[in-house]
Amino acid sequence: MSTRRAFLKAGGLGLVAMGLGGSPLFLHRTARAAAAPARYRGRKVLVTLFQRGAMDGLMAVTPFTDLHLRTHRPRLAMNAVGDDALIDLDGRFGLHPALAPFKPYFDEGRLAVVHGVGSPDATRSHFDAQDYMETGTPGRKGTASGWLNRAVGLLGHDATPFQSVALTPALPRSLYGPAPALAVGNLDDFALPPSSAMDGAGEAGQSLEALYRQTSQDLLRSAGADTFEAVHVLESVRRQPYRPAGGARYPNSPLGGSLRQIVQLIKADVGLEVAFAESAGWDTHVQQGTARGSFARQAADLAQSIAAFWTDLGALQDQVTLMTMTEFGRTVAENGSGGTDHGRASCLFVLGNAVEGGRVHGSVPALALEHLEDRRDLPVTTDFRAVFSEVAGTHLGIAHDEVLFPGWTGRRLPLLKG
Amino acid sequence: MKPRLLILTAFLVACAALLGMAAHDAAPPPEPLPYADAGLSEREAAAHLLSRFTFGARPGDVDRLVAMGLETWLERQLRAGFSDRALDEKLAPFKALDLTATETARTYPNPGMVARRAAREGGMSAEEMQNLDGSARRQQIRAYLEANGLRPQRELVGELIGQKLLRAVYTENQLAEVLTDFWFNHFNVALQDNQARPYVLAYERDAVRPHVLSAFRAMLGATARHPAMLLYLDNAQSTAPEGTRTTLDARLEPLENRRGLGGRLAQRRIQEGRQRMQREQQQALEEIPEEFRPRRGVNENYARELMELHTLGVDGGYTQADVEAVARAFTGWTVVPPNERGERVLRRMDRQGERAGFVLEGAFLFRADAHDATEKTILGETFPAGGGLDEGERVLDLLAAHPSTAQHLARKLAVRFVSDAPPEALVDELAGVFLATGGDLRAVVRALAYSPHFWQEAALRAKVKTPFELAVSSLRALDADVRPTRELVEWIDKMGQPLYRYQAPTGFPDEADAWINAGALLNRMNFGLHLATGKVDGVRFDLLALNRHREPETVEEALAAYVPLLLPEGDAAETVDLLLPMATDPGLEARLNAATDEAASPDGDDRADLDDRPPPGDEAFAAANPDALARVVGVILGAPAFQRR
Repeated sequence: MSTRRAFLKAGGLGLVAMGLGGSPLFLHRTARAAAAPARYRGRKVLVTLFQRGAMDGLMAVTPFTDLHLRTHRPRLAMNAVGDDALIDLDGRFGLHPALAPFKPYFDEGRLAVVHGVGSPDATRSHFDAQDYMETGTPGRKGTASGWLNRAVGLLGHDATPFQSVALTPALPRSLYGPAPALAVGNLDDFALPPSSAMDGAGEAGQSLEALYRQTSQDLLRSAGADTFEAVHVLESVRRQPYRPAGGARYPNSPLGGSLRQIVQLIKADVGLEVAFAESAGWDTHVQQGTARGSFARQAADLAQSIAAFWTDLGALQDQVTLMTMTEFGRTVAENGSGGTDHGRASCLFVLGNAVEGGRVHGSVPALALEHLEDRRDLPVTTDFRAVFSEVAGTHLGIAHDEVLFPGWTGRRLPLLKG
Repeated sequence: MKPRLLILTAFLVACAALLGMAAHDAAPPPEPLPYADAGLSEREAAAHLLSRFTFGARPGDVDRLVAMGLETWLERQLRAGFSDRALDEKLAPFKALDLTATETARTYPNPGMVARRAAREGGMSAEEMQNLDGSARRQQIRAYLEANGLRPQRELVGELIGQKLLRAVYTENQLAEVLTDFWFNHFNVALQDNQARPYVLAYERDAVRPHVLSAFRAMLGATARHPAMLLYLDNAQSTAPEGTRTTLDARLEPLENRRGLGGRLAQRRIQEGRQRMQREQQQALEEIPEEFRPRRGVNENYARELMELHTLGVDGGYTQADVEAVARAFTGWTVVPPNERGERVLRRMDRQGERAGFVLEGAFLFRADAHDATEKTILGETFPAGGGLDEGERVLDLLAAHPSTAQHLARKLAVRFVSDAPPEALVDELAGVFLATGGDLRAVVRALAYSPHFWQEAALRAKVKTPFELAVSSLRALDADVRPTRELVEWIDKMGQPLYRYQAPTGFPDEADAWINAGALLNRMNFGLHLATGKVDGVRFDLLALNRHREPETVEEALAAYVPLLLPEGDAAETVDLLLPMATDPGLEARLNAATDEAASPDGDDRADLDDRPPPGDEAFAAANPDALARVVGVILGAPAFQRR
């Protein structure tokens, strides 16, 4: 396969395609793309991160001055002084020590905590609560689309195949809907088989590209063009082993990998505007531990992944806002197994240069029984839609909250500088 | 029912049965399908029928249909009258297919519960269980499952998905299976719901499949009562609000209101009975972890989707007040839990339940004490106070016979079987048949095939296959021997259709736009290439046998032979026309290299290699490269034409 070798020798010019050397048309396109200014530079990107299983918000960001907490959680409540202590944020709330990488961002005013966030629907079922949070319609299961898909639909401008991407094997409920969305577990899978894996795959890919370019069926033709463009773009993204900027070190975890790939896409200027990642394992019913243990491991993965993501973005940080979410919080009291059960409100994090950071937003009452929802749970004082609409709306420039969250009449929680 | 009415009804039923028999015994030869009017040949018509009413043509299917007569084939499909030995053999090793809903849920309990019970039986706390390392924990769980005659739930899910795949590939009764796929999706439930999960297999088998060629009302009723639906859309926890008069109250009132000693005695016994019931319910609640305890009150999710998705359609003319009233009509429709609590319910039912208005049917339970028995107005009709289980059934009658339902279902069927934007006249025609036949789905599907709209040019190859259809049609086109392996199922997931895992009650969309995007299309092409080159675990086939062991000598021959084999619908031309020049054009290589030179700086050394290459088509094609034929087939399966049906 001389042509292929010719390209390899030519050194990084564009031969990506499939083995044989790609079609002439594509070659021109790639060569052109390499020289042309990126079309999508400067577009805002919203990165959402779903912590599945319900994060214990009271352990992530603890109201450590509340004396009730020690009664509710004799084994789990942590101190703000001493070894393995909470990191004092504002004299009232302390960050779990495993979330220490967040502290500088909080101090610089880029990271906001919103506490007491949750859904008006009181379900304690993971399935139902995730469904409601992802559709954005608490209590209604029939909503066909996800809220992020509607956000994409409201962007109202031309898009590439990478406009909204979930780094998940299957499309998340948040992205169900009419706006095109890509679910890809791993960008490396987004390729036709390389010739190394399948003899003659190059010719096959080339034949397919030609077939799709010329088919009479409009949808297949345009989607085919998108597909091959995306394949070629990602090939070029992958061509060099990725080296994160600024000495960023991603944890070797699924979440770390997802966030790293999101940054790769952002840096590649492929038109990404909405990204979705997720992290499993927050359902800490048994022995969640304190400064060490299962919660701490999850928290460390979360904070280190996000910190690496932020560092790696470097100069692109102004474009990007990241928001975490989780379906509900956990019981204020610890259970008999050193864990916590399904509760109501939790907290979430918003990171970005336009964020009104350095504050714990929202409202957390004193944890006396009479203030708790059903006398057991942190009450929901901020509807998650007030946060999502603010972050997505302000960052992406979307109005129309009535489309984003049908049936919701609340107001956005001010979190981002206009 | 009054005696006279009973007799009359019995008479009518007998007449209907006689008529049915007459129709069956002396069936006149079926009328010709109207394809000729649309300018189709019999073979083209056969291919179109196969593209609509099967999961894809196998080699030789067009010939078989023509030999049998298209109309005869259709009638037999409409009666699901073919024997299914190949499928039965494939399904024989499956263990869960014949268990009742309750048996299934008992045999394949949720993993979380298994872990808790395994810990308890092992004399461990949840913490100690958690502290075990992975293999010790698995050992503990295995031991618990074995000791109790239970099986891991993932086996159940594997069988559920496996049987769907095998049925689609192997059943001779293809139309019934295509319809089962359609109606399951219409009445969608999802495996992500861990409460509904163990019931999904029984749901498809009992609530959907038996009804796809008979009365819609029966399917509607079966889904309404099935644990999978009751749990997925939360009706199982929908109860009359505190303080509302229930069916039980209504039943007991006449007793309580009796005068004299009898009345006082009855009052005391009822009082005691209520207290006992409350104690038991309290006790039962305490056995449930607090976060899973159902909260009292009406849940509207099922009622809303029943009207919006299952029957009337979103613009079907109902209001929020109707949703609330329908929700109250279904309060108390719930599930007997597959555990000790459920056993207690069953024992109690034997003793006195039915007298108190409770109804038990399999895993379905009507709770008279949780049914709101106040008056309701639904779509303008009054449902008087004091109703019980019959009230929900009447609501289903009303909805099933509603013209909006006929329109809604007619449109969905037309979208599935004709095109994404079917002619309105066809929708009206099918809705008319639905109403005229009391919702006879067989009559509606037959009307579809006999409608001229079904055969119009605009309908031919108008649909883009779903990922499942693509996978199954590929397997059928290759006449493959299939085991439902994880890898095969993962391909369908990756193409965008995780089976039984569409989380929303809408079911998977049925329009091309939803399936065709960059990621999905890439995976479709990759699937074709991997499948054809024998890289998908669990799938075996013989490409040469497809072509009666005639080995193509060149790419042209391969294309000429295999394109029509795999695309028996007369649109082979486009694919061959596009591929042939690429395979044979001697100038292509040169053009490629010219482009190469243009893009890269020319390098003399590389050009030398080029001259060593044999010109294309110079060697015996398949013999020289056994994978070459497979790649040609892979390209055909990945081609645009094969994505359509």
